Amino acid sequence: MTTLTHLQRLEAESIQIMREVVAETENPVMLYSVGKDSAVMLHLARKAFAPSPPPFPLLHVDTRWKFRAMYEFRDRMAEEAGMDLLVHINPEGIEKDINPFTHGSAIHTDVMKTEGLKQAMDKYGFDAAFGGARRDEEKSRAKERVFSFRTAQHRWDPKNQRPELWKLYNTRKHQRESIRVFPLSNWTELDIWQYIYLQEIPIVPLYYSAERPVVERDGALIMVDDERMPLEPGEVPMMRKVRFRTLGCYPLTGAIESEADTLPDIIQEMLLTRTSERQGRVIDHDSAASMEKKKQEGYF
Amino acid sequence: MNAKHLSPETVSERRLEAVRLRLDGLTVAESARRTGLSAPTVSAAWKAFREGGWEAVPIRPRGRPTGQAHRLDETLQRRLWQRLTHWPDTDEPGWSSRALAQALSDAGAGDASPRAIEHWLATQNLKPSPMALDDLARRRSREGRWFRQQVQPALERLGQGSAAHWQGGVRVAVPATSAENASRRYQLYLHGKRGALYTRCFTAPPLADDYLTLFARLASRGPMALIFHGAYFQACPEIQGWLDDHPDFALINVPPNANLRAASTRG
Repeated sequence: MTTLTHLQRLEAESIQIMREVVAETENPVMLYSVGKDSAVMLHLARKAFAPSPPPFPLLHVDTRWKFRAMYEFRDRMAEEAGMDLLVHINPEGIEKDINPFTHGSAIHTDVMKTEGLKQAMDKYGFDAAFGGARRDEEKSRAKERVFSFRTAQHRWDPKNQRPELWKLYNTRKHQRESIRVFPLSNWTELDIWQYIYLQEIPIVPLYYSAERPVVERDGALIMVDDERMPLEPGEVPMMRKVRFRTLGCYPLTGAIESEADTLPDIIQEMLLTRTSERQGRVIDHDSAASMEKKKQEGYF
Repeated sequence: MNAKHLSPETVSERRLEAVRLRLDGLTVAESARRTGLSAPTVSAAWKAFREGGWEAVPIRPRGRPTGQAHRLDETLQRRLWQRLTHWPDTDEPGWSSRALAQALSDAGAGDASPRAIEHWLATQNLKPSPMALDDLARRRSREGRWFRQQVQPALERLGQGSAAHWQGGVRVAVPATSAENASRRYQLYLHGKRGALYTRCFTAPPLADDYLTLFARLASRGPMALIFHGAYFQACPEIQGWLDDHPDFALINVPPNANLRAASTRG
């Protein structure tokens, strides 16, 4: 009998979760945020249903403030996977020109991401949405189940979660309720990087170290990705060798100084790091337990 | 084979081996070929053996033992930092080690030789190496194309030879001994003739005015080409405007991620 490696066990678990969702729900969708976790999730989905393309579309809840490299990568990967790519931008956000600079990260995240996701779920009638969240990312994510139920209003109640003993998942839900499913819950950041390396999964080049124009904002290195980034009077961005451990809206995502420009270097850096990747996300610093509040309101 | 970068222990072993080969009757050239040493080194080892026996063959350590160099005391270091965070009173584009030594001496703030200050700059990670641009014109690479398409035309337009340009950059300097970012400093640096270093330090990223002060000091010397690395000037309208007003000043940005292997600098 062959013994599965740690990564093979994680892979098998994730594939089982995906197949379970497709078997038990009517209209699933895969949330695709273009990051490394999404890349792994997409890879697993393609494996789970090969040789057919996965039987659900990709949904990108766009904020219009992602890195340019992310948009290019998103379109390329959707085409390669042979999957439908649905892009939803909150029309109210466009109308009011919601952006992280004028309105702040909290309002921007709430309108463009939380409300945008809820709108898209309602618009297309999805009853299950795969997400690439992992338990090691953040405290509130650590206590969320693999199958995380949402009310008809998309709210999450952390005190009312179903047990998932022996990896048995109860997928029954009331009408208009939906499920957020996290097939990568039990993966760590290091697992993700090792899997990307072993499976040669393409990822956005921003994860690799390179010289990029950055400015310092409250101790974070923010990349000047386009001309919309407002600079302080007289400010000149510096070219510094940086990479991103996590990717989101570029004005809200801090880079780290790094020399790691290959996957083995990144993995080695991961082994030495003592901070969470989400320390680079400005939106997680809003207030104590802000992620849990956002999740209760419907944030992915 | 180049034995220039071998450790002293390895060179000593090879010198002993070369002498043994000579004793076995091999020629200097053959001994040199077998040991990887140069012929003069083999001859020197052979001569040392004849005059002083086996004990004279290994090389002797040269120079002052590590850690016994003259160290600048803390007061002097503090004064150097104070100087470095201001522009020199002269029209120099930054502080050279000679100018720093002179300024300290003039102010009666202590004596330190330019060489001691150079050592101190190196310990503070304030001594970046100049970019290796000499053979770029012939290189078939992205860097070579950049040099041919941007640097050479600018130099020709200003009527300068390939050696008459300045190069410089901006960087974050963290001393190797620093545990955290407490002593992180931002450094503007230039390399002039024969790689002479001029520098100016900041406690926050330099602003457009700082760069313009630097450019103006350089521009006062006449038509000037500056090859610069580390700043994204395209995003700064003040600097773009100044450059438009100064056609005799050619600012050439080093492309991101260019592999301009730094040349080694002496002491």
